[in-house]
Amino acid sequence: MTSLLLQRVRTPRWAGWLLLAAGALLALWLPNGLYPAVAVDMLCWALFAVAIDLLLGYGGLLSFGHAAFWGTSAYTAGLIAAHLGVPFPVAVLGGALAAAALAAPIGYLAVKRSGIYFAMVTLAFAQLVYFVANGWSSVTGGENGLQSVPRELFGLDLSDPYYFYYAALPMAALGLLLAWRIVHSPFGRVLVAIRDNPARARALGYPAHRYKLLAFVLSAFVAGLGGGLFAVAHGFVSLDVVHWTTSGKGVVLVVLGGIGTLWGGVVGAALVVNLEDQLSQAGFTLIGLVTGGIFVLVVLLFRRGLWGSAVALLRRYSRL
Amino acid sequence: MGFLTQTFNGLVGGSFYALLALGLAVIFGMLRVVNFAHGAFYMLGAFGAYVLLAEAGISFWWALLAVPVVLGLLGILLERTLIRRLSALDPLYNFLLTFGLTLMLQDVVKSRYGSQSNPYGAPAGLRGTVDLGLFDFPAYRVFVFGVAVLLCVGVWWLLTRTRVGTVVRAATERPELTRALGIDVGRWIAPVFGFGVALAALAGVLAAPMRAVNPLMGADLIIGVFAVVVIGGLGSVFGSVAAGFGIGLLQAWSEAYGPGLLAQTLIFLVMALVLLFRPAGLFGREELPT
Amino acid sequence: MKKTLAAGAALCVALSGCGGGGPRGGGDSKLTGDKIVLGVLNDQSATYAQLSGKNSVEAVKMAIEDFKAKYGDKAVTKNITVESADHQNKPDVANTRASEMYDRLGVDAILDVPTSSAALKVADVAKAQKKLYFNISGATTDLTGKSCNKYTFHYAYDTAMLANGTGTAATQAGAKNWYIVYPDYAFGQDMEKSFKAAITKGGGTVVASDPTPFPNDNFSTFLLKAPTLNPKPDVLGTMQAGADLVNVVKQYNEFKLRDKGVGLAVGLMFLTDIHSLTPDALAGTTFTDAWYWNFDAENRAWADKFSARTGGQRPTFAHAANYSAAMQYLEAVQAAGTDDADAVVKQLEGKKVNDFFLRNGEFRAADHRVLHDAYLAKVKPGSEVKEPWDYEQIVKTIPAQDAFRAPSADCKL
Repeated sequence: MTSLLLQRVRTPRWAGWLLLAAGALLALWLPNGLYPAVAVDMLCWALFAVAIDLLLGYGGLLSFGHAAFWGTSAYTAGLIAAHLGVPFPVAVLGGALAAAALAAPIGYLAVKRSGIYFAMVTLAFAQLVYFVANGWSSVTGGENGLQSVPRELFGLDLSDPYYFYYAALPMAALGLLLAWRIVHSPFGRVLVAIRDNPARARALGYPAHRYKLLAFVLSAFVAGLGGGLFAVAHGFVSLDVVHWTTSGKGVVLVVLGGIGTLWGGVVGAALVVNLEDQLSQAGFTLIGLVTGGIFVLVVLLFRRGLWGSAVALLRRYSRL
Repeated sequence: MGFLTQTFNGLVGGSFYALLALGLAVIFGMLRVVNFAHGAFYMLGAFGAYVLLAEAGISFWWALLAVPVVLGLLGILLERTLIRRLSALDPLYNFLLTFGLTLMLQDVVKSRYGSQSNPYGAPAGLRGTVDLGLFDFPAYRVFVFGVAVLLCVGVWWLLTRTRVGTVVRAATERPELTRALGIDVGRWIAPVFGFGVALAALAGVLAAPMRAVNPLMGADLIIGVFAVVVIGGLGSVFGSVAAGFGIGLLQAWSEAYGPGLLAQTLIFLVMALVLLFRPAGLFGREELPT
Repeated sequence: MKKTLAAGAALCVALSGCGGGGPRGGGDSKLTGDKIVLGVLNDQSATYAQLSGKNSVEAVKMAIEDFKAKYGDKAVTKNITVESADHQNKPDVANTRASEMYDRLGVDAILDVPTSSAALKVADVAKAQKKLYFNISGATTDLTGKSCNKYTFHYAYDTAMLANGTGTAATQAGAKNWYIVYPDYAFGQDMEKSFKAAITKGGGTVVASDPTPFPNDNFSTFLLKAPTLNPKPDVLGTMQAGADLVNVVKQYNEFKLRDKGVGLAVGLMFLTDIHSLTPDALAGTTFTDAWYWNFDAENRAWADKFSARTGGQRPTFAHAANYSAAMQYLEAVQAAGTDDADAVVKQLEGKKVNDFFLRNGEFRAADHRVLHDAYLAKVKPGSEVKEPWDYEQIVKTIPAQDAFRAPSADCKL
């Protein structure tokens, strides 16, 4: 499988720390500048995008069915929070574990194919999950959704999205850190090696299928963190969480931000969530035309994505 | 008797899968591109028929001819201007590109015609039922089945009995070898893409009299078609068509005789089984590691 | 907003638990901000855009003008405005927009909200924010069942009303044997249950009942099956909605079921559905409507005013109900002399009213179901349609007391 056009851009160390500090400050300030509910959405979608990029950018596998994991976690977290009355991070964690559990059989079948087949197969499996969620309305509420998911944290009232943002931020940060650790671990490097030259990696004794499967499960877990948080943040779960458009949105976020950059997903999420909010607030209804148009332009002209292009630019200047 | 009717009914339902899978497979064979916008072109085909009738009074029969030609030309244009630019890269980029185009096309149609379904009736001559000996069946559906079979046979004839077909087939099945033999594959790429798009558009026109014409009609269908081509083996034109009709049959049978949830998940369950036992698809060959 | 906490301090708050944000303190004025703001939250770009959409905003504006004209200087305020937003039928967008309306835009009451999941979500928001919410175009009985709350009124129709009307009334009118097809998701499952009960109540039998895939563009299997059932059904009851309904109807005609003696009854159909399918495709189909513009002179008079402002579209029940709900809300504020939600709810609960939409209307106190007459309708064949949108023939008026279900035990206000 030929790899996607991406280079691991090495930023100088000081620039990395500076960016991290700036990012952290921005994340802390965010709900003061934005409508807090929108800021919370950004966190959730950022996790989702990073999860997809983990698989796409480092494993070379484009999943067009990650809604299955985002949604499974959302339903599971919603059910746990609604029925067990546990603190919300426990519910979210439970959701993410359920997503990972579902990813094992789906991944086992999906990694038998690669490239474009992988994309179609994951899309099809996600559709299967959609039909099950839709038909199994005694558990999921069907298209009425799962209502009244509480936001419980040791008796704290988090119904104000402003405070919930700060409660959710550490979880999102942990999820991002996990993704970062995976990518920069020996496992991550083997994954990249398999992506770039599967035959060689196999010859070196790495069981490619097993590595890909593990990457798939881990990615589902991170996506699940996002989905679970999303369910708790909105206080309900609707069928949209397992619809294929959700998978598509995740892919859009990654490509806009930059494939194989990890942080690009965060940038993509921040941008798209904000854009969608602005457009819908302005009463503009052709959101697909705008995001689709930007997406097409990025695919045609800026395949490094926003973050990827920015980093490449930064690198060029820091060399000078 | 009931069983026979349902069987024929399944073949009619499978006609749409087969036609769409056929176009997808032909395009994939030549370009290695999976056209996500295939469903959008199916939708545009149905809208083309509707718009011609509603705004110009042009009948179904002319639409059946004109809409695929126009959209086929649009397909050629699309290949020349956009898809070609990404042809040297990983095919995933063209998958992404056509996905983005799908979002745009759906919204453009939505902004002009809304997302309500639009009225479109069967052509005057095909409104009744015909006696097929063992049972009656709506004439229009018999016609659709006939057209689908005719097209599939026609494409098979093109591929096996003509010079163009030989080139396309060679490019599909042995791409490296074909190029190595110095056969100019390039000039056929855009026409083949246009042809695949025209097939999707034709399926759309055929669908307009019997299905709801709205901007999202292609979106849900195309995911099922992806599963169909995975089952058949994307590289195999014959496999895609056979899987299309086969899935149509299984769906009709499971709807008529099986439990509720089975019919809608069936296509994906079959896909899972095929992946488990024949990852390359029923009629496909193992991918060569590249 | 009063969110001026430093970010670091807020983090401390979140982690150490120093209490949440209390309700915002209101002034002494009887009206918050000395004005009334109504919010129309609905689908302005997708499936329900024509059914309700932007024209419902226009209907609410008409109500405001009529209210001001009626009370003149005695009106509780002249400063009444409308906010509107498109929720795209997505519950998460509905959630954000609804919170924003109550929170940032000072909306006193939200109106409309189609799509059950979004409708239920907004009920949650209304409950949390203690602000009024009149659901018009949502169908789920959960709004007056397990998800009911003090601040939510369900105004126009629900699945139980549809089943009561079409199921019971049509059976009593002679359609004894039914074959039901329903989409296999919550709405469809709900409708099937209600219809079965209603048909049995009317003295009929359900010969068979089949779930269908959703979404689905091919119903031929079920349409082939219908005439072969024993006993042969008099009527095919379809619970499909939207594009699926269009598919069923197109294919019902293709398979010539009417010629084979199987009539058609539709669980949920709107005037706009008839418009997009054409009356000929549906001629003779039985269904239940909450209101019809050409029913009598009073409806017609309002419809004429509405059409003059909206470029000719005839109003659906949703447009009329949005007008009516806005008007009833303003009347209640006028009577209470304040826009305080609790006071307005007190005004409304148990109130009996009559307007052109709420015939024999009552704001039932037990579950906040708004009762009113409903109508069993038949679609006219194209040859009897005398003017655009003149599609329905009202077969029977179903009295308000019989049209809806009894209050549900699940609802605890």
